[in-house]
Amino acid sequence: MGPIGSLQLSESIKSPKAATEPAIRVQKLVKKYGDFVAVNDISFSIREGEIFGVIGPNGAGKTTAVECISGLRVPDSGSVSIYGLSPRKDRNKIRKFVGVQLQQSAMPPRLKLGEAVELFASFYSDPLNPNDLLETLGIKDIKNSMFKNLSGGQKQRLSIALALIGNPKIAILDELTTGLDPEARRETWALIEGVRDRGVTVILVTHFMDEAERLCDRLALINHGKLVVLDTPEAIAALAGGNRVRLVPSQPVDDKTLYAIPGVNGVERKERYITVTGTGDLAMSVINSLAKIGVKVSDIEARGGNLDDAFVKLTKEEPSNDSGGVIKP
Amino acid sequence: MTAVGTQDSKSENSGGHFSELLKVEGKLALRTPIGIGTGIGLPLILLIVFGLIGDVEGGTVGNTGLTIIDLWVPTIMVIGFIGISISALPITIVRYREIGWLRRISTTPVPTSRLLAAQLVINLIFALATILIVIFGSELIFGAPLTVGIPYFVISIILSIAEIFSLGLVVAALVPSQTAVQGITGGLFFLLLFLSGLWVQPAQVGGVLATIMYYSPAGAAVQALLYSVFNSPPPYTAIVTMIAYTVIFAFIAIRCFRWE
Repeated sequence: MGPIGSLQLSESIKSPKAATEPAIRVQKLVKKYGDFVAVNDISFSIREGEIFGVIGPNGAGKTTAVECISGLRVPDSGSVSIYGLSPRKDRNKIRKFVGVQLQQSAMPPRLKLGEAVELFASFYSDPLNPNDLLETLGIKDIKNSMFKNLSGGQKQRLSIALALIGNPKIAILDELTTGLDPEARRETWALIEGVRDRGVTVILVTHFMDEAERLCDRLALINHGKLVVLDTPEAIAALAGGNRVRLVPSQPVDDKTLYAIPGVNGVERKERYITVTGTGDLAMSVINSLAKIGVKVSDIEARGGNLDDAFVKLTKEEPSNDSGGVIKP
Repeated sequence: MTAVGTQDSKSENSGGHFSELLKVEGKLALRTPIGIGTGIGLPLILLIVFGLIGDVEGGTVGNTGLTIIDLWVPTIMVIGFIGISISALPITIVRYREIGWLRRISTTPVPTSRLLAAQLVINLIFALATILIVIFGSELIFGAPLTVGIPYFVISIILSIAEIFSLGLVVAALVPSQTAVQGITGGLFFLLLFLSGLWVQPAQVGGVLATIMYYSPAGAAVQALLYSVFNSPPPYTAIVTMIAYTVIFAFIAIRCFRWE
């Protein structure tokens, strides 16, 4: 989970004492659009060589926060430091070793895929071999296709290729696998792991929890512009409140009864389903307790908490903190 | 393509990326019909049309002492510049901005201004092609008795292109979207065609309209070029007019240009 060591620390980066020094430090970042506060006082550090995930609902401020890091946006206050450099003042230095994939970015419609990659390779002093990269991404055989004729998935891979062609020390990837089919997503994940294994620090903006769980060493969950939690995927999943049991009761049961059952600490209702969350042997405990008051249960589904649950819980709870685990629709 | 193994130097790759940008922008321009069509195709068609009219009708126009093809040579040339800089150039730049291509380039070590520079260079090459086609076409095929005075001609060409390209950059700077740019450049294009004397030359209309045409961006360029292709010094009013337009347009374009 810690830094994977600095295999290929570029000589252009001043301080190779990086073992303790973070690659990126974000402090008290604030960005407003008019009255709307997109990013509200966010601070975190990213270690060299880790895959750092930024998750959150749509409009939470993920992209804005990350664009302040890449220098595309100027924060209203707070600071970003990348190896001690400022994305604004040292823009020219930073662009040489930070590769960026933008969430929505098209290319000239008649530009061919191979031309785009070779053009971008010419922008950097030590680029990867374009052919090798296209091969890895599985788009070498369509290098003569024009951008306008590419499918969504092919465009996405091209976008990834352009972010990586400069052999960056830091790769910022926004909505990495949106638009890819399941197989292509898995291939892309493997590619990103390969990139990380070469010592590249990756910032990954995503709204796919399986992707975050699979790839990221640590996750920052942002909601309404604020940092809700920053931890490993496992630790955040644990916040979902342990085990979950979903069932359909034979007759109505009120929340009070359910909370009285040993181990239960959360109740959700959706249509005829009741989902209780809690600890211990939850399913057995709930079934037995309800049986004692003459309620039968059907359609039982029990599982451990995961990142999805934690995400829903943390993002829905955020506006009013007094709900004590009860999530109202 | 790059210097491998050398110590970090600031300009390690400065030549490579610009020639690559030129190459790519050039290919894109050749693949996009509008630039070639309005920049080179339209002058070519006009040259043939006016050449044939001149051959059929014969004689000189009014009291100018010039045949139709003689009189229209500068107009056709300026129409080529207008086609390139009012249609092709702003439409391309506004599209690049709207689809996020300028923004995408801005995340790389190469300044976005280099992309615009490459666009300008490619369009200047088209303009030079137009000049050669019109001069040699009118002289060799339709027998216009041109006596191009090189110094006059070079000055007139440089100022015409500077002025009309700056106007194109004003459009690129001010127009927010691709849909808007289509409409605006369409209207502006036909207005400038009229002012360049495509339908009627200022010498034929006289009066206030002739004065307006002479002092318009298109008309001043036509005026200066008309003298230059017959080895006469262009009128200083035309020169001053073009310089003034260039300064004003360039100032507005630079002040108002938006990258996103």
